[in-house]
Amino acid sequence: MTDTPTKSIKAVKQLVAKADYAEALAALRALARPEDDFTNQHKYFKVLESMPRESLGLRPLRIALVGTSTTDYLCEPLRVRLALDGFDADIHQAEFNTLDQTLLDPAGALYAFDPEIVWIVVNHRDVTPLPEPGASAEEAEACVRRAVERFTGLWDAVARNGSAYVIQSNAALPLERVYGNYEGVAAWGGINALRAFNLALARACRPGVTVLDADYVSALHGKAAWFDERYWNNSRNACSFDAMGLLAHHFSRLVCGIKGLARKCLVLDLDNTLWGGVIGDDGLAGIRLGGSATGEAFVEFQRYCKRLRERGVVLCVCSKNDEDNARQPFLEHPDMVLRLEDIAVFVANWENKADNIRHIAETLEIGLDSLVFVDDNPVERELVASMLPMVAVPEMPEDPAYFVRALDRERCFETVAFSAEDRARADMYRNNAQRKSLQRQFTDINEFLRDLGMRAASADFDDMSLPRVAQLINKSNQFHLTTTRYTEARLRDMMADPATVCRAFKLADKFGDNGLISLVILKPHGDDALIVDTFVMSCRVLSRGMEEFVHNEMVEACRAMGRTRLIGEYRPTKKNRLVADLYERLGFAHTTTDAQGNAFWELAITDDLAPRTPFIERTDW
Amino acid sequence: MSNREEIRKRLQAIFQEVFDDDELEIDDATSADDVDDWDSIMHITLMVAVEKEFGMQFNAEEIGKLSGVGGLIDLIEQRAG
Repeated sequence: MTDTPTKSIKAVKQLVAKADYAEALAALRALARPEDDFTNQHKYFKVLESMPRESLGLRPLRIALVGTSTTDYLCEPLRVRLALDGFDADIHQAEFNTLDQTLLDPAGALYAFDPEIVWIVVNHRDVTPLPEPGASAEEAEACVRRAVERFTGLWDAVARNGSAYVIQSNAALPLERVYGNYEGVAAWGGINALRAFNLALARACRPGVTVLDADYVSALHGKAAWFDERYWNNSRNACSFDAMGLLAHHFSRLVCGIKGLARKCLVLDLDNTLWGGVIGDDGLAGIRLGGSATGEAFVEFQRYCKRLRERGVVLCVCSKNDEDNARQPFLEHPDMVLRLEDIAVFVANWENKADNIRHIAETLEIGLDSLVFVDDNPVERELVASMLPMVAVPEMPEDPAYFVRALDRERCFETVAFSAEDRARADMYRNNAQRKSLQRQFTDINEFLRDLGMRAASADFDDMSLPRVAQLINKSNQFHLTTTRYTEARLRDMMADPATVCRAFKLADKFGDNGLISLVILKPHGDDALIVDTFVMSCRVLSRGMEEFVHNEMVEACRAMGRTRLIGEYRPTKKNRLVADLYERLGFAHTTTDAQGNAFWELAITDDLAPRTPFIERTDW
Repeated sequence: MSNREEIRKRLQAIFQEVFDDDELEIDDATSADDVDDWDSIMHITLMVAVEKEFGMQFNAEEIGKLSGVGGLIDLIEQRAG
């Protein structure tokens, strides 16, 4: 970006004046950096506010801020960062410094607002009591425990009074140390007590609560600049104004993680991105990878990508190269960290990268908004960013030594949990892509499905499966007939209700275990029917007979409960057109469509209704 | 051009941006009553922008003083001088 913010904000304003709001938001996204100072953040906010909210296609989000410091000034950068991440945030601020009263009052304004997210904004001054100088380790621990209990008590209150997700700031460790370095040595030292508090707070986290690591954000910004005592004394602002964009960015990306909207897949260029030089020109011995200062930088970047893969981020390659050349370093270079088996989809050709990236998304059956594209070449970045605006395209620096930082600062892959499924996800996507290429070899789809050797199991939700069940319901958009969203607490209520069927499905095949990939919630409807309240499936396993397998299970559930009708509902959204005709395909008859476009389907559970035949063998859970 | 006039012009540009009003004109007599949205909350946003523009820091009390444009020019002159 060579434009100064003022110049480019004019460009955004011109787009707004032309009522080209989608372009204006895209231009604002390219312009507004989290690190920009508060005065610029304010300008971004003003231009955002000048666009009609309903014209931006953002998803509404209700957030309540409650804390022990001023939150007014955070609201502007928050609205901006959240809008750039796809949310139209409605922000409710509790009265200044009424943290405990607000959260403990079930009849208060905060719960009336019915927030989806409650952000408890606290700072190091809230960690009380601090241990007495010279206190024993046990006494110091007891102090920390008491400080944490105040907050866990507030989390309980939020859980009692609604279904909001709690984001709790931890303590940004302050600059001052009365005992100097010794504060970080003695168990009773003030800094050590705050460190212990942050650790204890993290340990106390539970489903529905996560910590925003404000201490990390303050260190990233630079603590000397993060704290500005003048603005604390003047107006009780706990961090400096110029740090608020960065704090808002970290908050917004965390919300993406909570809402299941974090990115899933990293698409990597090769030449000058994973190694220095051009493999097609320089040859295996000529590329820079390991062995030199520059070569080390590429090794480090590959290591970082490898660690992302280990946590479930799917890696793909998109390179302008001859395929054999492109694969050669993966096969033969001793310093390659990434191997071919780490790459789910490997695309090396001379087509344009936007088309190739579209192909990658289709092969993986994930949305373009799940992708991050890393390329050293600004022309390629620009092409992809302009043709596929939903793909995240981080600015990459000239010097490969800073590649890791440039990608990491984007916080594209935020999460609030890590499960066995996450660990295995990258493998599952790779296997899936292999299945797809296998599919091309078979002319008869049935032969292909039979050859997959699929085995499925079903079971009612339980404590073990609940986190994954909640994740699947809340993250799925495409194969989700009714787009219901449920907290774990609400799911537990349904599990406890004997009239409600809560069933989950697993699928394995010869390429590996897909884990828990589908679920249904069936509720009684009148005396003689069950209605499909929720029907979700991971898009990884589409069109492999799992739909039929679940169908058979729902029919059996009706029979077991003496119900003679199964009612299916399809609530159309932008993203779930995939399943618009699902019930039709499963043999249901259309009954009505209401004014909102919700279509109702019905299946008569007669004795002669035969099970549909998927090529899936039933196994135990 | 006098020093005060130069400060006023630079301030006016800040006011226009902070209050998002390209037509906004200010002089010594302009006070919070004359500018829509110039409340105690926006005042601090304004002061943060003034600090940045003039490369100076005010103390907590000066930040909080909502004394109108004349007073603000006095403060900047005094701090710069």
